Amino acid sequence: MRSKVAIQKISKAYGAFIALDDVSLDINPGEFLTLLGPSGSGKTTLLNVLAGFVRPDSGSVTVDGTEFLTLPPHRRNLGMVFQNYALFPHMSVRSNVGYPLRLRGVPKAELDRRAGEALDLVQMGHLADRGVHELSGGQRQRVALARAIVFEPSMLLMDEPLSALDKKLREHMQLELKRLHQRLGTTTVYVTHDQREALTLSDRIALINGGKVVQLGTPDEIYDRPRNKFVADFIGETRFLPVEPGASGPLLYGRALKTRDGAAGRNEKSWLVVRPERLRWRGGDDDGSNRIDAEATDVIYQGDSYLITVRLPDGAEIDLRRSPDMAGGRLPDRGEGIRLWLAPEHTILVTDHA
Amino acid sequence: MTMAIDLKGGAAPATLNERLLKRHDRRERTALSLLTAPGALLILVVLILPIGWLFWLSFFDASGEPTLANYARMLRPVYVKTFISTFQVAGLVTAACVLLGYPVAYLLSQLSERTAGILMIFVILPFWTSVLVRTYAWLVILQRTGLINTWLTGAGIIEEPMPLVHNLLGTVIGMVHVMLPFLILPLYASMRAIDPVLMRAAANCGATPAQAFRQVFLPLSLPGLAAGIGLVFVLCLGFFVTPALLGGGRVAMWAMQIADNIAVYGNWGAASALGVVLLAVTALILVVLRRIFKVDTFGGAR
Amino acid sequence: MKRRSHIKTGMLAATAMAVAISTAHGADTLTIAGLGGKLQDDLTATLFAPAAEKAGVELRGQSHDGLAGVRVQVQSGSPGWDVAHLGAEDCAIGAGEGLFEPIDYQVVDADGIAESARGENWVGTNTYSVVLAWRTDKYGDNPPKDWKDFWDVEAFPGRRALSVYPQEMMEIALLGDGVAREDVYPLDTERSLAALEKIKPHIGVWWSSGAQSAQLIKDGEVDMEAIWGSRVAGVIADGAPVAFTYQDGVIGFGCVAVLKGSKNVEAAQKLIANIVSPEIQARIPTMMSYYGPANRKAFEVKEFPADVIAQSNASPENAGRQIVMQPNWWAEHNQDVREDYKNLMIE
Repeated sequence: MRSKVAIQKISKAYGAFIALDDVSLDINPGEFLTLLGPSGSGKTTLLNVLAGFVRPDSGSVTVDGTEFLTLPPHRRNLGMVFQNYALFPHMSVRSNVGYPLRLRGVPKAELDRRAGEALDLVQMGHLADRGVHELSGGQRQRVALARAIVFEPSMLLMDEPLSALDKKLREHMQLELKRLHQRLGTTTVYVTHDQREALTLSDRIALINGGKVVQLGTPDEIYDRPRNKFVADFIGETRFLPVEPGASGPLLYGRALKTRDGAAGRNEKSWLVVRPERLRWRGGDDDGSNRIDAEATDVIYQGDSYLITVRLPDGAEIDLRRSPDMAGGRLPDRGEGIRLWLAPEHTILVTDHA
Repeated sequence: MTMAIDLKGGAAPATLNERLLKRHDRRERTALSLLTAPGALLILVVLILPIGWLFWLSFFDASGEPTLANYARMLRPVYVKTFISTFQVAGLVTAACVLLGYPVAYLLSQLSERTAGILMIFVILPFWTSVLVRTYAWLVILQRTGLINTWLTGAGIIEEPMPLVHNLLGTVIGMVHVMLPFLILPLYASMRAIDPVLMRAAANCGATPAQAFRQVFLPLSLPGLAAGIGLVFVLCLGFFVTPALLGGGRVAMWAMQIADNIAVYGNWGAASALGVVLLAVTALILVVLRRIFKVDTFGGAR
Repeated sequence: MKRRSHIKTGMLAATAMAVAISTAHGADTLTIAGLGGKLQDDLTATLFAPAAEKAGVELRGQSHDGLAGVRVQVQSGSPGWDVAHLGAEDCAIGAGEGLFEPIDYQVVDADGIAESARGENWVGTNTYSVVLAWRTDKYGDNPPKDWKDFWDVEAFPGRRALSVYPQEMMEIALLGDGVAREDVYPLDTERSLAALEKIKPHIGVWWSSGAQSAQLIKDGEVDMEAIWGSRVAGVIADGAPVAFTYQDGVIGFGCVAVLKGSKNVEAAQKLIANIVSPEIQARIPTMMSYYGPANRKAFEVKEFPADVIAQSNASPENAGRQIVMQPNWWAEHNQDVREDYKNLMIE
């Protein structure tokens, strides 16, 4: 149920393409770990190595101390939720969920009871006798989930399980998944390319790019302390402004930048991480440090807020929100120049390479 | 507003334009069904009418008098034997096609589309040569002085040549060769349609490869298998050339009996009766096959 | 007479022949349909074309696949063919079905044609023989001499072949069972079938076409068989170690008949009269070896070389060792006998 997984020096190449490049990763018992990355980054390959569908060229995976790579998939006792659910179309909902138990020789009565419990857990108990064809996408997702947990697997693997659902349902399912994980405590490895989903669900996130783990950390570590420009860019809605090294510290368009740790970007060319929710409409020091001159290009009323599109000095646009209560003062007009500030604790500099 | 005045009370909004819209709806459906008219007409002319005529003819003797003699004649031993051997041959050929074709279709479905496409040429190749040529080729291979027997006797493995042809065995071999593509093609198509992820899902649930095959792949391939079996079986029932050439006169098929009745005896009524019986039994078998494989419950039926 | 190969080439050749004839004359045009293939080419060159020339008619050749095709033509009401060439039993069957016009024996002189080789509605044009052939490499100096030897599996072990069609085979079976040649007709079908039942375990193949029968003996697939004389001659000519005998052979006929509804009945009678005339029939022994004339007067027309006489199945010497098939008997009993025969044959 709460297995500890150690992934060591896993490499896998398909011809000249390196899918996994010497990946090492520890997964703590009961942890919800997300493998996050763009498509082709190797995250799904790594998941398939865990599931046993891809044989790596080298490396080791131990689960609670036993080597896993030499085990065939059907002996790994892992629950897996596939991207397109992979429910068996010729079986009813109940038979799908009961299938892992049937393979384990569970008696009929117990099988039905446990399958029913798993279905109840995902609120699908009332549809147990339906055919898979009769279910909606969200319902299939729940059945797939029930099938993956019904046999109390040592680990739960999920391969972009929510990607086929519409946005509203996806957000709802995220919360359900999180609740389910809190309740069951099963060690979970979750693959997604959706950074918000990763931030919502995970205990820790492993950001993967080019077959390597670029950064491993809790959601707030990943968000607030991106190791490099790639991480900062991948997480959140981020724009970058060029920062030059200066004698007394980093300079943004000639003005001083006060940063959180005061160290980064001192000696080399770096980038200021600009995220809309960190920008402030007022404040800052009199010396003009941490100030960004911008221009409002659009102001749109959206009921709960105003959406203000702002053009940064380098020409990139970023969308800011302001509540309609005018707490921030007067709304800018279109084309009006505005001054924005970044507080030093939110002033993050990144370089191209970690 | 004049309409609102004509109508009574609260029902008015519900019936506004109701009849007009219904009429449009009907017209649209009529137009759509007209699209099927040419096809329906064709089926009527080339299928329904001739079969009806066949059925009608079967109740008349050669001189045009109404009779049941055409059906009574079928109780003669030669007809009974032929009838049994027709279904026996069709059954054997179908079974052999399934045993040989299923693994081939499975292999093809597991290969890349490209490789499968190339190998598929070898499956379809027999389609490109005439049945006669294929059949004679088997004669060259199977007869007593043919390749196999010459080689085996020459190598001292057997003393007497084996009777591989001019009998039921030779007929079945030749027919399987002709029929195999008809089994493989629909089967392959249905296997391709099986999402390979399902096999992974089964393994993940704890199924050994054999279990995954038996419990997931096999049931999902059944509709294609049923289609192939139905096709092969029914086509076999009408076989003519191959049994005549490779059966050595010992294998009699219903179709040969029908041809005899027309070509040799000029008895359309008797031939029609044979045709009617074959049609009826074939339909019955297809219905039974459908029941066995529960084709309806699979695939895109829902 | 069940040859169906080379129908196309036959049609082409026959058509070419007809074109050549039609340019020479300008009279009535007759269409004659035969079984196609080499047989029809030979018949056209030997009988039909010279007969048409003498009768003063133009001739067009067509091919059919047996009585069924003739039936369809007649049933259509206005047949595209005037004259059909068939196997004699088919002529007799067709006559029974009323497919043919009567033969005008005022015009057609049938004096030299045996009773059994003609009917009210048809007349024989040529003969062929079903003979006993064997592999010389198998039997050497002690070959089977007649059908009794064919049935003697002790003295003559080996695989045998018979036709899937009962015509001639039923006769052969009676001869093999010891019936004298003159007592064969009317056929004792029960005795014949019983004899066939006895030899059945030794029948390797029941052949269904002339080409197949030739291939079987040529390849050594069987050691002896019943086969058409013309077919086995081809096999021997190809150098295969095969020999045959006319002893106890069964003489069958090719025949012509005028299709009911033909617009050229009179011209057709004239054509037929010439086809069966001794002069034209006398062309057969030299031009179609192993075939014979239907009109025995053909042998009185001229002196034939000794080797021709020896080869021709209908030469007095050879004909005397054989029996003559009776198409009319077959016309009456065809379906029942054929079905019983088939019942015996199939496993």
